[in-house]
Amino acid sequence: MNPADRDPAARRRLFGFLAALAILWPLFRMAEVKPGALFDAANLKVIGHFLGAFLPPETGAEFLAYLARATLETLAIASAGMALAGLLAVPLAYLASAAGREKPALNPLTRSLLTVLRGIPELVWALLFVRVFGLGPAAGVLALGLTYGGMLAKVYAEILESADAAPARALRLNGASRPLAILYGLLPQVAKELVSYTVYRWECAIRASVVMGFVGAGGLGQLMDQAMKMLNGGEAASILLTFMLLVFAADGLSGWLRRALDRPPAKRASPFGWRSLGLLVALPGVVLASFYFLGIGFGELFSLEAARSIGEFVAGFLSPDLSAEWLGKVAKGSLETLAISLVGTLFAAIGGLLLALPPWRAPFSFLLNSLRSVPELVWATITALAVGLGPFAGALALALHTTGVLGRLYAEALANVPAAPGRALRLCGVPGSLAFLYGTLPGAAPQLIAYTLYRWEMNIRMAAILGFVGAGGLGQLLYFELSLFHHAQASTVIVAMLLLSIAVDQASAWLRQRMR
Amino acid sequence: MSLALAGVGLTYANGFAALDGISLRADQGECIALIGPSGAGKTSLLSLLATAMAPSVGEVAVLAATPAGLGAAALKKLRRRIGTVYQAPPIPGRQRVVTAVLAGRLGQWPLWQGIASLFYPLDVPGARRVLARVDLADKLFARCDELSGGQLQRVGIARVLYQQADLILADEPVSALDPALALATVRLLVDEAKSRGATLVASLHAVDLALSCFSRIVGIKAGQIAFDRPAGEVSEAMLSELYASEGQELPMLATEPRFSPPAVATDVVTRTAC
Repeated sequence: MNPADRDPAARRRLFGFLAALAILWPLFRMAEVKPGALFDAANLKVIGHFLGAFLPPETGAEFLAYLARATLETLAIASAGMALAGLLAVPLAYLASAAGREKPALNPLTRSLLTVLRGIPELVWALLFVRVFGLGPAAGVLALGLTYGGMLAKVYAEILESADAAPARALRLNGASRPLAILYGLLPQVAKELVSYTVYRWECAIRASVVMGFVGAGGLGQLMDQAMKMLNGGEAASILLTFMLLVFAADGLSGWLRRALDRPPAKRASPFGWRSLGLLVALPGVVLASFYFLGIGFGELFSLEAARSIGEFVAGFLSPDLSAEWLGKVAKGSLETLAISLVGTLFAAIGGLLLALPPWRAPFSFLLNSLRSVPELVWATITALAVGLGPFAGALALALHTTGVLGRLYAEALANVPAAPGRALRLCGVPGSLAFLYGTLPGAAPQLIAYTLYRWEMNIRMAAILGFVGAGGLGQLLYFELSLFHHAQASTVIVAMLLLSIAVDQASAWLRQRMR
Repeated sequence: MSLALAGVGLTYANGFAALDGISLRADQGECIALIGPSGAGKTSLLSLLATAMAPSVGEVAVLAATPAGLGAAALKKLRRRIGTVYQAPPIPGRQRVVTAVLAGRLGQWPLWQGIASLFYPLDVPGARRVLARVDLADKLFARCDELSGGQLQRVGIARVLYQQADLILADEPVSALDPALALATVRLLVDEAKSRGATLVASLHAVDLALSCFSRIVGIKAGQIAFDRPAGEVSEAMLSELYASEGQELPMLATEPRFSPPAVATDVVTRTAC
């Protein structure tokens, strides 16, 4: 072969493939992937029995009253937490983002604050706040506010950076200040994305506040925890149905908002129609009502006594256990957590893509939404029944929930890809599958990869807490040590979680850069 | 017979009649230029020939087949033989030039070959050959989003050359190229069609380019055929009539008459331009 005809990228591709294989294989072993366990007779019997009890769902008046109250509480925790998160996120995103700056400057201080906020999973924050402020929704709201504030800020900053920078640059060159350049040059491009991400996060916040109940921060989670502990299938089914209802409602709301943003503005000076005005009134109303309903007194949170107990608590964490033996345990837990997150995300990417492809969407959207509406931690309680306690249960739980998330994002990304390349190929007789591979997929690939990697960043945090219900990894260590009040050991685990999530963020950013 | 349209009309869903009463026949190996003001229906006519759309009334036959009556498999077989050059090349930016060109034969390749070629391009020499003809051999392994608009347009042409279609359709194939390159590229398309006996139908914005390179000129105005003549018989009056709505000047390859290459300037055009 003519040496000039050799593909110069081939060697790199092969090397990348082999490297991925070399890294993934041991992690697969570590996650104890054993599909056989799914079909183990004893496991099948347990899960079958449990799922059998799902029918009929519990509909007793007393239980429904509890359920309604818990649902409201969950919604209120999510809304109040999101309000707090938004309050944090907007200024932080503005500071951290390179968007609208004339020289690409990153603000290292803000960025590292964001990393710490996001790096510690909300459930760990909640667990800590429960110790300081006692059982109740306040801990949940604060935990949500901090973690989601960090996440929203980071994603807002990146969405702003991903938009075409030319309009904002032109404005700045004409003397506009940075905030105005962002408002006029960038916001119109990304408003839809920002809104849909925020609504999506609110939806995640609902799921997260469900999970908060597992550590005693109120809401649906507490009910679910009780139902699962007593293997009460009927109640679990009612609660799961409620999750789904909530997520579908949030979905509808998100769609409505996005459509509203798509509509051309009214032909008069003020671009605000009845919809925008309604939202402007409704949003603060909902937030205020949430705080009122939860009865959080902010005076107590910022009292001298609270400050003292925070101080004492934090002091207990200042001297992490760094003995070789404990570090070894934590290192093993970290690797297991990493393995769970990678395997779970990988399975989900494959499953999500397969479910995103079929052109007739309705049944698949329903399936994806159902998978997504159940939080990972709840899935983990179920997969632990199906395949036994251990990391594989965690990986499966992550995969199930993440399939729902990624499948939906993939489907949207694929629908938004320019149709011309694929159509042009079909017009010269190319079969649909090849037209997809050559015409559609390359257009969507950067987004698919970015979504998957972002999701991996979230999953590493989630994998760290799946251990709370016995699905292996760092969470198991943390839960155990905290319940024994071993603050020094717990502190080591939290530091490990933080470092692990930072490492994964870096790896993911590097991969995204490479695969652009 | 390569293509035959009989009393074809095309009305869009919004009620706009893009084509009305078009009848056109061409033998295999003919080279036809479609000219006319923008919005006249050139692109609509090409999409009918590309089987992208079906006519509202009348009959379209392409390469001795009636696309309207074909099943999915037969339609696919027919489409393999039709290659289209688009004004904006429908190529994903992240695709490499070599892949974009090889995609021209995906209709002929079996599925496994198409998939394997994503991992290692299976016909690098073939892709290089056609790229060399549009002067882009050095961009073989570049990514399409690294190319200029004109280079990308030539990649689109290379893809159709690689496809070796029996009917080549071109919708403003050289709109992003400078005059000299535009002339060379249109000649390349015509030579390709002649050497393989393929039929070529190209819509062109530049009248002089159409007159100098094509033997048969079809003028289209307001969705109807205004004239259909050999290039030598197209008169200045016919052109002025065709472009009456576009002001005084006829659209030319080189806007400044002084620089219009003499090879391009046929009598009619030189006179109208001066």
